Amino acid sequence: MSETRPNNRSRNNFCGRTRREFLWQTGGGFTGVAMAGLMGNDGFLASQAVAADGVTPFENPLAPKDPHFVPKAKNVIFLFMYGGPSHIDTFDYKPRMKGMDGKTVEVKTFGRGGRRNNGRIVETPWKFNQYGQCGQWVSDLFPNLATCVDDIAFLHSMTADSPIHGSAMLMMNSGRILSGSPCLGSWLNYGLGSENEDLPGFVVMLDPRGGPISGAKNWSSGYMPADFQATVMRSQGEPILNLQRPNGLTEGMQRHLLDTLRDYNKDHQQPRADNSNLAARIASYELAFKMQTAAPEATDLSSETEATQELYGLGEKRSEPFGRQCLLARRLVERGVRFVQIYSGGNHNDANWDAHGDLKHNHDMHAGETDKPIAGLIKDLKQRGMLKDTLIVWGGEFGRQPTAEYARGTGRDHNSFGFTMWMAGGGIKGGVSVGKTDELGSTAVEDRMHVKRLHATILHQMGMDPDRLSYFYGGLDQKLVGVEGAEPIRQII
Amino acid sequence: MSRFKNIVTALLALSVSIGVLSGTARAQEKTDEKKKPASSFKADQLRFFEKDVKPILVARCFKCHGAEKKIKGGLRLTFRSAVLKGGDSGPAVDVKKPADSLFLEAINFESLEMPPAGKLPAKEIAILTRWVKEGLPWTPGDKPLVNPAEAGGSPEVNDETRSFWSYRPMKRPVVPAVKQKGWVQNPIDAFVLEKLENAGLTPSAAADRVVLLRRAYYDLLGLPPTPEEVQTFLDDDSPDAYEKLIDRLLESPHYGEKWGRHWLDLVRYAETNSYERDGPKPHVWRYRDWVIRSLNADKPYDQFLREQLAGDELENPTPESLIATGFYRLGIWDDEPADPELALYDDLDDILLVTGQVMLGMRINCARCHEHKLDPIPQADYYRLLSFFGGLTRFGVRGGDSIAQRSLRSIRTPQQEEFRKRAIVENDQQKKTIAAKMAAIEKLIQGDLSPEEKQTFRDARKRIDLLKKRVKKLVSQQQVDEYAALRKRRDELNRFRPPNGDMALCVTEIGSKPRQMHRLVRGSPQAKAEKVQPGFPSIFGIADPQIPAAAAGAKTAGRRRVLADWIASKDNPRTARVMANRLWQFHFGRGIVRSSNDFGLQGTEPTHPELLDWLATEFTSRGWRMKAMHKLIMLSNTYRMSSRADSRSLAKDPENDLFWRFNMRRLTAEEVRDSVLAVNGSLNSKEMFGPSIYTIIPAEVLAGQSQPGSGWGKSSPEERARRSVYIHVKRSLMVPVLESFDAADTDGTCPVRFSTTQPTQALGMLNGDFLNREATVFAELLKKQAADNQGAQVILALRRALQREPTKKETTRGLKFIDDAKKRFGASDDDALKYFCLLVLNLNEFLYLD
Repeated sequence: MSETRPNNRSRNNFCGRTRREFLWQTGGGFTGVAMAGLMGNDGFLASQAVAADGVTPFENPLAPKDPHFVPKAKNVIFLFMYGGPSHIDTFDYKPRMKGMDGKTVEVKTFGRGGRRNNGRIVETPWKFNQYGQCGQWVSDLFPNLATCVDDIAFLHSMTADSPIHGSAMLMMNSGRILSGSPCLGSWLNYGLGSENEDLPGFVVMLDPRGGPISGAKNWSSGYMPADFQATVMRSQGEPILNLQRPNGLTEGMQRHLLDTLRDYNKDHQQPRADNSNLAARIASYELAFKMQTAAPEATDLSSETEATQELYGLGEKRSEPFGRQCLLARRLVERGVRFVQIYSGGNHNDANWDAHGDLKHNHDMHAGETDKPIAGLIKDLKQRGMLKDTLIVWGGEFGRQPTAEYARGTGRDHNSFGFTMWMAGGGIKGGVSVGKTDELGSTAVEDRMHVKRLHATILHQMGMDPDRLSYFYGGLDQKLVGVEGAEPIRQII
Repeated sequence: MSRFKNIVTALLALSVSIGVLSGTARAQEKTDEKKKPASSFKADQLRFFEKDVKPILVARCFKCHGAEKKIKGGLRLTFRSAVLKGGDSGPAVDVKKPADSLFLEAINFESLEMPPAGKLPAKEIAILTRWVKEGLPWTPGDKPLVNPAEAGGSPEVNDETRSFWSYRPMKRPVVPAVKQKGWVQNPIDAFVLEKLENAGLTPSAAADRVVLLRRAYYDLLGLPPTPEEVQTFLDDDSPDAYEKLIDRLLESPHYGEKWGRHWLDLVRYAETNSYERDGPKPHVWRYRDWVIRSLNADKPYDQFLREQLAGDELENPTPESLIATGFYRLGIWDDEPADPELALYDDLDDILLVTGQVMLGMRINCARCHEHKLDPIPQADYYRLLSFFGGLTRFGVRGGDSIAQRSLRSIRTPQQEEFRKRAIVENDQQKKTIAAKMAAIEKLIQGDLSPEEKQTFRDARKRIDLLKKRVKKLVSQQQVDEYAALRKRRDELNRFRPPNGDMALCVTEIGSKPRQMHRLVRGSPQAKAEKVQPGFPSIFGIADPQIPAAAAGAKTAGRRRVLADWIASKDNPRTARVMANRLWQFHFGRGIVRSSNDFGLQGTEPTHPELLDWLATEFTSRGWRMKAMHKLIMLSNTYRMSSRADSRSLAKDPENDLFWRFNMRRLTAEEVRDSVLAVNGSLNSKEMFGPSIYTIIPAEVLAGQSQPGSGWGKSSPEERARRSVYIHVKRSLMVPVLESFDAADTDGTCPVRFSTTQPTQALGMLNGDFLNREATVFAELLKKQAADNQGAQVILALRRALQREPTKKETTRGLKFIDDAKKRFGASDDDALKYFCLLVLNLNEFLYLD
């Protein structure tokens, strides 16, 4: 049982911590009964569920909690284009660059190759067209997604603190370039809890080619307890680590084991009834037992119609893996999972969007893998009436430079001075664009928006005040958006 | 009310207040206020205001309507008359027609939309509506509510803050007199009992002997006693059996492994750097070993600190004291920072944060960007303290050699150094001799070579072929054989590397002249303010230290030694208190000060301040020896109490603030894993120290890495069965069983572990590879030790896991489980026993200590 609770309710005398948080962090986690008593005071016990055996109370740290105000969105699906997709080759149309290919221009850039003052233009190899009523420009990389632009708000002037993968990934996921802080999904689960206690509240799906750089740091709960870290889920095979019973152990046998275990534990608990941790642990086994059924049910895509599967690009070799993940993401949010993050791209070099070598080869591959699934996701959510409650976020840890990285070739280096991300659903206005980069796309020049603004917007749509969602650690009320706070991007909400 | 009407009202209000009759308007307010004096509200209304309304106002409205200076729309909501007066849009509440109040419209998003961030939850709207309709009940006196965001500013260094308990020098308190003298085993009990008696509580009964045995084993060693050790203890009925047990445990080498782990948590010990490469920290394990050895040797705590802070600047640095300075190299390290100068300050900040919180219980780090908001620590103090580290190099520049240059130092002894030099010289000499001999033989044929062969001859590896061609012509077979032998020997010599292993991860500085440090405005290295010199926090009122001039050729500035002398001093009001509190915390589950890294104004108050000071002074007077303190604490009756609750005490002191009983606890992550191995008989506890080992991490977990498996090695089964403290700590890849049971996060100091209960723990304990593998080993052990007697196997399993004799009921239940497994579920004999072992390792009693 974790005693940490978000700071949604009244602030009191404990530096903004709730009493339970306060006791927890100061080492009071042992006195179960004290906790029970205190929790009773602020309605915590009322949110208890009952475990599968129908009697044992389970105090779930992820039980749903009240948001700060009426939320626009209930769930988030974050499509993480790891490696950094090029904004000027996807959604940030730069007509002025036409015909400039190969020209050396003065432009300040900063990437893994360091700082430069000039470079050779690499003109985009893709054609751009306008789509939808809003007339958003989209390159030929995304023929399917282009049909959804009226549901999307594009943020063309994103900025981040680092143009280096490791720290930039941490920034996009946890708001800081230093490792050790909780990720966005942890914050949301901490603040809001999860709607389905049989499934994890924060799910991450990885690219089959490998995880992103820094691995688990990207879905860690940092200084928060482990309740709030992500569970890695797979769309094929065993969906969650340790979910499958070991070879030879039947369900009946396991039930028998759990029943006997409970008998022993009950005897042990009886003279220690004041320690609610013991009851919580008994109940956690029942919950685990239920998860063994719930998770495979959620990941079973075969119950989806052929039309739906086709919508997500299943059955096409290129788009099938990401398509499965997108479809699974829809099934998870349908079942109340609060935050789902899917990585497009993994490992190193061209196994992700990090197009240092051959831009065309790289982006054709990754866009090709994701275009149809993402469009399918938006359309499917929309037709099911779920798009209004589901916030989709698309983007990488940064964008790419307008100029070539090397003397030869089309590779582009990293660019954190300006790049594009987009959001859709969950109360976000469709068909709008905010912000501008300069005519080369080298840096954001209008309505510059730091990553923190994106985080603030996500929290805000989920009914949380980004300046108030805080967690007491290290002597401070820590916030996802930092001590100075950040404003949601009002133009798109 | 329509939006239009609202605008009209606003305009009217505006014209009234700025135009015609402002004086009258103000007088009018006063009359209104008098009409309903705040004191006329009923007690329950006032309670309602305090408890329900005020927190909403503070949280929801004060950001814009509670400020002293920046106030939005002219509306202030911090006192009642201000609410009535209203702002630019007119009175916020009309007490005569509360239902029509602008305030209610705004929060219902009917005219104005407040708060702008989003509509409040219905519950809060209901509370505020009731408040308005009841005529704005307000605390008598109508004093402005304090906006926490602006309250008070930063505490100053003055007589009041200086007299705060933890800034004051320690004083030896008098041991209090108590009524129930018989219970007092040593002064600790007197301090605890005094408070219990004052509260009308009585201490719980003594814990059962086996409970105490188990408690003592886990507290000191982190391991369960073996069945034999249980028996030895139970058989010893001498009055000092328990004391002898404590002595035995304190002598055990496993003590350092357990208590070392506490320290490793505090200094955020890890063996890699995090970030993209998460590369290994070379030789870092020596620091871990140094901690374990220091604790086992009962190194005085002041020396323990001094070596870590300035082991290289001490009078006679030893290899051990150099290793100790690895303290500075344990943190995260960004090897390609976007802003290198900021990265340097981030690193230094991380070091100061750990030093301040861990050694002094001070959150100095909060003053990096501005005056400390909660403690009397001016921003300049931060930079004065940081100046002690002003000469530090970063861990490295990018990798490879730069780490070796900046963070590795030789710890060879003079003899080793001599040996190494000699080995290098000898090697060179031998190579020269051999080269000469080979050249002599080659010379025999050189004149005979065709132009083509001359080309071939250039390749030294092929010369032997040219020799072989001329056997019995220009050279003898013997000479060719000799040449081949020489060549082989030369290759060996080339492969030879002189002994180079004894390196340590250390602190180094840029030289004897450190960087000139400045106060940095908002913590930005680009905004340097005035210069600062090394100094201690001004709250302690100590003059700035004189830094002795660095000796000629000195490699460091000698500043850290001065810092170490101040911290590791018995006159420092914090150091001994902070550590005495930690000792208490790790025995009792919580510190006397619960916020054990924060003894500041906002830390928690000590529940037993006199006891804390008594322990701290006892600690220093016993030469900072931790083992003496363990014994003292563990021999107290306070420690020996049962953890069982009695309803009366529970009702009076549910949080056990007064220590009327012992606190139950769950095993720590390492204890869970080590105990599984200990119970099934496979724990390799004999092997201690050395480079870290790798346990098996499931492929599914490795898949989360950008290169699955990278940076994770393979250890032999014997190595894998070693204690958890020796497992490689890779920041981006935590061992699942440890992570799941709340091992310390590696990126920040961890003073108190979490103790979560999650279904994923249960899944791992039921289905995970590790548990299932170890359950099989457990079953094998049972079969070996209890032959084919199923009853004996069940008893042995429970005895080993719980360190007590199982009851008849428990044994019968186990037998029935196995029987049913076979008969009803068709399990084989082996599987049925294995499942029982799995069950036993999942028992709450196995994981929880009384």
